[in-house]
Amino acid sequence: MAENSAVPDAAPAAAQSHGVIHDIGFRHYDGERLGRGWIVRSLLVETFRGVFGLGRPAKAKIMPWVLVGILFAPPLIFALIAVLLGLDELPLSYTAYPQALSLIVSLFVASRAPYCVSRDLRHGVMPLYLSRPMRRNDYVFAKFAGLALALFAILAAAETLLFVGALLAKLAVGAQITGYLQGLAVSVLYALVLTSIGLVIAAATPRRGLGVAAIITVLAVVAGVAAVASELLIYNGNETLGNYVGALDPYGLVDGIAVLWFGVDSAFGREVTLGFTGGVAFTAAVIVVVAGGIGLLMRRYRKVGVA
Amino acid sequence: MNVTVMKLTARGLLGRRRALLLVILPLLLLGLAGLTRWASDASPEASSILANNFSMGTLLPLMCLLVATGVIGAEIDDGSIVYMLAKPLKRRVILFSKLAVGFAAVFVFAVLPTMAGVAIAGDEGGELSLAYGLSAILAAIVYTAIFVTLGIVTRNAVVFGLLYALLWETVLGGYVPGIRAVSVRQWALSVGERLLGSRQADEWAFASEVGMTTGLIMLTLTTVGAVYLGVRKLSTLTLNSVE
Amino acid sequence: MPAIATQGLTRVFGPVTALSQLTVEMPTGVVGLVGANGAGKSTLIKILLGLLPPTSGSATILGMNSLTDGLKIREIVGYMPESECLPPDVSATEFIVHMARMSGLPTSVARERTADTLRHVGLYEERYRPIGGYSTGMRQRVKLAQALVHDPKLVLLDEPTNGLDPAGRDDMLELIRRVSADFNISVVVTSHLLGELERISDHIVSIEGGVLQHSTSTAAATDFSGVVLVEVTDRGPEAVDRLQAMGATVTTGAQPNSFAVAINDERVLDDVRGVVVDLEVGLIRMQHGRHHLSEMFATQQEALHG
Repeated sequence: MAENSAVPDAAPAAAQSHGVIHDIGFRHYDGERLGRGWIVRSLLVETFRGVFGLGRPAKAKIMPWVLVGILFAPPLIFALIAVLLGLDELPLSYTAYPQALSLIVSLFVASRAPYCVSRDLRHGVMPLYLSRPMRRNDYVFAKFAGLALALFAILAAAETLLFVGALLAKLAVGAQITGYLQGLAVSVLYALVLTSIGLVIAAATPRRGLGVAAIITVLAVVAGVAAVASELLIYNGNETLGNYVGALDPYGLVDGIAVLWFGVDSAFGREVTLGFTGGVAFTAAVIVVVAGGIGLLMRRYRKVGVA
Repeated sequence: MNVTVMKLTARGLLGRRRALLLVILPLLLLGLAGLTRWASDASPEASSILANNFSMGTLLPLMCLLVATGVIGAEIDDGSIVYMLAKPLKRRVILFSKLAVGFAAVFVFAVLPTMAGVAIAGDEGGELSLAYGLSAILAAIVYTAIFVTLGIVTRNAVVFGLLYALLWETVLGGYVPGIRAVSVRQWALSVGERLLGSRQADEWAFASEVGMTTGLIMLTLTTVGAVYLGVRKLSTLTLNSVE
Repeated sequence: MPAIATQGLTRVFGPVTALSQLTVEMPTGVVGLVGANGAGKSTLIKILLGLLPPTSGSATILGMNSLTDGLKIREIVGYMPESECLPPDVSATEFIVHMARMSGLPTSVARERTADTLRHVGLYEERYRPIGGYSTGMRQRVKLAQALVHDPKLVLLDEPTNGLDPAGRDDMLELIRRVSADFNISVVVTSHLLGELERISDHIVSIEGGVLQHSTSTAAATDFSGVVLVEVTDRGPEAVDRLQAMGATVTTGAQPNSFAVAINDERVLDDVRGVVVDLEVGLIRMQHGRHHLSEMFATQQEALHG
């Protein structure tokens, strides 16, 4: 039998002389050990696949794919509507789409973010990661990137469906391309911001049920409060304050950036009149949310022990 | 109903982080109510719109969800429910005790703030507050019962429950009139509408898609159904841990 | 070269000193680490894994400095935590493959080695079921497997027999012995059961309050001591007198009919037999006295009568 000759294994030889079928013995490994980079990428891919329930039993796939299905349904409907009614533009713009389905997107983040981080924390798996050739922050980055990429993937896919639908409905190609690219840009921002918020909350509440409830509550309630408050303020003439308050809602924040940098219409149907300062402020806010979220995560994981 | 179970449930429910959320969110509502009062000069109509869309539509279901996961979800998740199931207590006693704690919590953290919110945002003689309070109590009972049962039946209960509460009732209800009739919120509102009297209700934008009889019947049926299912499922609970 | 060598290793957390001037060499083979909780064990493990820098002093693991070569150390060191660390909703195979990849093994290699390692630790069909349904014994095997799958040169096992019934403990100890003897992997085991450590360790290190208490090879510690323990049915003191008259060195204790005779010369055994026959008493025991590990923790006086 093929034994790795690097290991002198006396026992099998002695046993074989008695006519016993003996096992090979522990095989040692002299092959390559891939470094941190590969490990991080591997964990990232693992996280990404886990978000969609890939590589897990069927039951785990239901929740994410149901939500994804709901997210993908409207673009097809919109294309149909555009064709049937002979519209010259989509009923819902590329940049407004994620906000219109904010509930679904929020639910997706709320249910998948805990899957990404709460399990390892709750079951004490972290010591096993820490004792491996990776750093604590590698784990944080891999998880963050995995979830953010997954979010981006579904938003981008939805945007692509919109785009394809629009083309099939024979809408003006130039406008569609611009809109599509803007939609992708907006998707990147949503992915980053929502991942940051979702993971921070999930890591703070490893009890699974609470994590989901907490994330969706924060996202939905804050969205609701910000929406109502900003409406009231604008209605009462306090436009500037109203617009800033509207950005307390992550969807409002990204939407604000789209309006101010890309000049598209606000998904909320309001007039965002903040100009250049507003654009800069909002962009800074996004950076703060994303970087701050990662920072908080790193701090949270620094507290995790090995023994 | 068993007092020990209730005490244990209450303690589990009011753990630090959940308690934080349970307190902060109603405060946000109250802040918003204050803002509404200022912006609309305390008009009952604006108050009613706020209560209908935000309090009943968003905050109440979510608070019920938070409470429901606190009352049952965590125990099933980490398996400590076995200790309770191993005691010589009827399953329905366990469930009723937990529901009792849940209802109490929802009343304090969601129904009362809703009423306070209405009062702050604008009301005349407290009538609107009462109407919304009544509707809120009814809706809260049903939501809590549904979410607790969902928590027993499936581990992904939370998300499905939310899909229903938020998507079905709020978003789709806005587009498809038929759906509105099949909505806990509408059933609850029907009772409050009757309390106000239809003229007052119209004036204050307190509308319900169904009549009170229908509403009450549906509310009762749903609650009873949910609780029954909950007891059944609790009796046959297995702790298999695939997600 | 010793597997692990520390030099004046000290680690301070504010007012608390977890480790103080620890200088010890742990050879290859099985090293038992003894110490109560709070004795500095976990801090030591963290430092050895390169996860915590010492306040002063140094630690060398397999020739690598813990401060600068942390990642390289963790590539070839395995760790089996004492605490619960397994997720319940994946199968052992899935989990170990994942952990193997997290150690830097390419996926196909990870799969192969997982299958092998699970076989070696004794998990067969169970490996495809979710870990949530495993018994404690099976869980400990999974924990051990994840420490071994990437072919480490050294494994740190923290209380591996915790929660196991006596049969399970025996199995685990045998497994650990195999890891060292057959798989050729150095082992550092912690336990608070001296008896277990005595059975499998080649070397014992004991720590208390962050300070090194003992570091001895078990062969020496459990060697035959140079005395024979004698117990007679009656007339012990007379026997002692006669033996001493013959020139033997006898030590007595609380029991009048038990005493220890130093063996400077094999003929002493004949003398003892002769005395016993002359006095016409029964001989209950004539036994080479062995050291026990617990003697390390006892006083001199107690040791002689152990």
